[in-house]
Amino acid sequence: MNISHRPRRTAWFAIAAGAAIALTGCTADGGDAPTAPVADIPFGATTPAASGPVDSVTWMLPAEPATFDFDIDSGAAENTVFANVCERLMAVQPDLTTVPHLAESAEWVDDTHVVFTIRPDATFHDGSPVTADDVLWSMQRHAAEGADESDEYANVTAMEKTGANEITVTLAQRDAIFIQAMAGNGGMVLNPRVVEAQGESFGAPGTPDACSGPYTLGEWKPGTSLTIEKAENYWDDSREVLASEVVFRWADQSAVVNALTAGEADGSYLDSPASAIPLQSVDSVALAQGPSTNAWVLLATERGALADERIRQALSLALDRAGIAKAAFGDLAEPSKTPIGSGAWGYEHDAFEAAYEALEGAPASPSASDLEAAKKLVAEAGAPDEPIVIASDGGSVRNVVSNALVAAAKSIGLEAEIATIPSAQYGDFYSDADLRGQADLFSDEYYISKNDPVGFYKNGASTASVNFVGFDDPEYDELVTQAFAATDDAERAELAIELQRRWVEATPWVPVTQSPSTVAYSSTLTGLPSSAAYLYYPWAADLGSAQG
Amino acid sequence: MTTALRRLAGMAVTLVVASFIIFAAMYAAPGDPVTFLIGNPENLTPERIAAVRAEYHLDEPLFVQYWLWLSGAVTGDLGTSFQYHQPVAAIMSSRLPATLSLVAYAAVLFTVAGVGLGVWAAVRRGRVADSAVVGVTTLAASVPSFVVGIVLVSFFSVQLGWFPVTGAGEGFADRMHHLTLPAIALSVGALAIVSRVTRQTMVEQFDSEHVEAARSTGLAERLVVLRHVLRNAWGPIITMIALVIASMLAGTVVVESVFGISGIGSLLVDAINTHDFPIVQAVLLYMVVAYMIVTTLVDLLLPLLDPRIGSRVKTS
Repeated sequence: MNISHRPRRTAWFAIAAGAAIALTGCTADGGDAPTAPVADIPFGATTPAASGPVDSVTWMLPAEPATFDFDIDSGAAENTVFANVCERLMAVQPDLTTVPHLAESAEWVDDTHVVFTIRPDATFHDGSPVTADDVLWSMQRHAAEGADESDEYANVTAMEKTGANEITVTLAQRDAIFIQAMAGNGGMVLNPRVVEAQGESFGAPGTPDACSGPYTLGEWKPGTSLTIEKAENYWDDSREVLASEVVFRWADQSAVVNALTAGEADGSYLDSPASAIPLQSVDSVALAQGPSTNAWVLLATERGALADERIRQALSLALDRAGIAKAAFGDLAEPSKTPIGSGAWGYEHDAFEAAYEALEGAPASPSASDLEAAKKLVAEAGAPDEPIVIASDGGSVRNVVSNALVAAAKSIGLEAEIATIPSAQYGDFYSDADLRGQADLFSDEYYISKNDPVGFYKNGASTASVNFVGFDDPEYDELVTQAFAATDDAERAELAIELQRRWVEATPWVPVTQSPSTVAYSSTLTGLPSSAAYLYYPWAADLGSAQG
Repeated sequence: MTTALRRLAGMAVTLVVASFIIFAAMYAAPGDPVTFLIGNPENLTPERIAAVRAEYHLDEPLFVQYWLWLSGAVTGDLGTSFQYHQPVAAIMSSRLPATLSLVAYAAVLFTVAGVGLGVWAAVRRGRVADSAVVGVTTLAASVPSFVVGIVLVSFFSVQLGWFPVTGAGEGFADRMHHLTLPAIALSVGALAIVSRVTRQTMVEQFDSEHVEAARSTGLAERLVVLRHVLRNAWGPIITMIALVIASMLAGTVVVESVFGISGIGSLLVDAINTHDFPIVQAVLLYMVVAYMIVTTLVDLLLPLLDPRIGSRVKTS
């Protein structure tokens, strides 16, 4: 599945968390400034390599996992745990590139056929070999109607075993992202014997995992903790597995921060960069950030005030993104020119980076000439008849974003006002046209699971379900089709960059900030990835001791 | 016997009415569970929405949905959580122990401390100790429990490291260790109410004729307080303690969140935010049941302590 939305806390929880941050900020030892400069937190794919193994590590999750049947549902908590337990046909690396894994190769043999060659030496945790039949069975389970990952198989018309170690997938049209998707949960290979033995209860507490990864699922005490243990007979000798056991516990972010500060937990991939603010002054906790695809965006709706793209461009020019990054994330998030984070650059990284640098139209802070240009655009288009309405839910980030948008509108002579929608209802903006009729813009943190900008920019096609404002450019639609057909990375990157340019120009969504993946961990540990790869990559295997 | 039957029937009716009101309120509340059930906005197509609605019977009228729930509930099947995809009963039973032990611990704390302070204030009525107890407990009650919780956590756990920061602990000793700070945070507000009620009812007893009579026989003041004043004051005190406990069973949300405890309160908030109807329904009903059980226990207990209450019921 491309993206998954977890509920956000209600407003008063945000206030409670804020109070907790403020209090722990002043009571924690050392460091008189509550916010240290951004430069103090290293940014990269991974933390420095570990020097040796560790025994047991306690790790905090943002919530208790719901189920480990990924064909039902999955979110950050489930993925963080099972990245270590289950393996996929392909594998995401800490630098967010994709390499073959349980499939030793994946090749397009012609326009509509992909052949996966399954490696012969992999085994499941019960010792049985991972066969092509098991792979086919797993893929069919993921592709089944209603399965959570079935959208990855939307273009697939047939899957067959075409050799002892060979699966051939037939697609209705070329889908350049399909192979990469097999590094996500859609490519997870399950042991059919274990899944079938569990029946309906597969994935619930007390059932074993059905996988082949470096860790096995140990005891899951609902409401308390969950343990994964180093697999005794892991098939891949080339991978050194450092942490021998990880005990997961879960709590709200303020309690996670307290547990890390007190040394009760050894680490956590944080829900939001803002959670790291109070941890900057704690000596025993190290912080690292890395690329992710997550970005806060303002989605324009069909309500009407933003129908003219010049008004959207003007708002984007006038928005103070640096101010938002500071106020909502303590400068631990970055102003963004694009609606997707740099973690999307899973190939041709340099080309994407250069194109990003050259982008215009979404400044970090509006300069006088940006405001001048924005006012000119408004004058050309004519101000909308009614005030622009932006939806907030009273939560801390949405409040800051909404206020900044209102300020941006005012600075260029437009009227704007905030409408508050209950947080429990906010997600309905995606499904409920009547609700969208109440606001011209709503804000959200959007992300994609595959590290390919094409997987995001398809949302600007005139037929895309989340293109609410009705951005319609036949050339853009054609570029999306071409990009999906472009299995050559360099060619696809070129098309993606053109899509990005057109998107930012038309601004169906206004980019706001990028939220880097943020990990907090005990300073006695190191080695783990700091990029968003932790959702699919066995990060615990790399987590070891920091000294001799 | 008939009283007991009538009472049970009354409870059953209350439950059915309460369950329907809860169900209807969830049905009417803003927000669509389908958004969460599908999750990915890019998959929110009208066809998929319709299919998911049908799968979860969300397209049926309110009464049909309620009937489906009720017919399951009477056989003990409270449904399956939308979010956890597990039976609601299994999730409830994994969360209840933490909340119940938290409330029990807090109840012991505020009962012992509250009654103790109340008695002390009553005996010393009009003097410094009295004003101090009233003043301090009132001040404590005016601080929200989450603020108390955050202060306790940052000082005793994070700073001094005396208590664990998160979780409910396993085994008796570990659980007591984990729940001490949460129980204190939860009981601070109740302390004021219980000590005030204790003080007030005792002060009234002090002025009554039977206490004067007891004193005139030359009974020691300590025994006057124990046998005549406190004994006659128990009724209102116990009623108040029970009501506070009943409201605590439904009000642990904030403290659970601050202390990272997976209890019923945090389960309810999550379930409301994700429109996990079967869980919301079950948790709110548990709160109704808990309230009924506590008040029934008090009704049964009071006549034992004060025979006048039982006889009054019989004659009227």
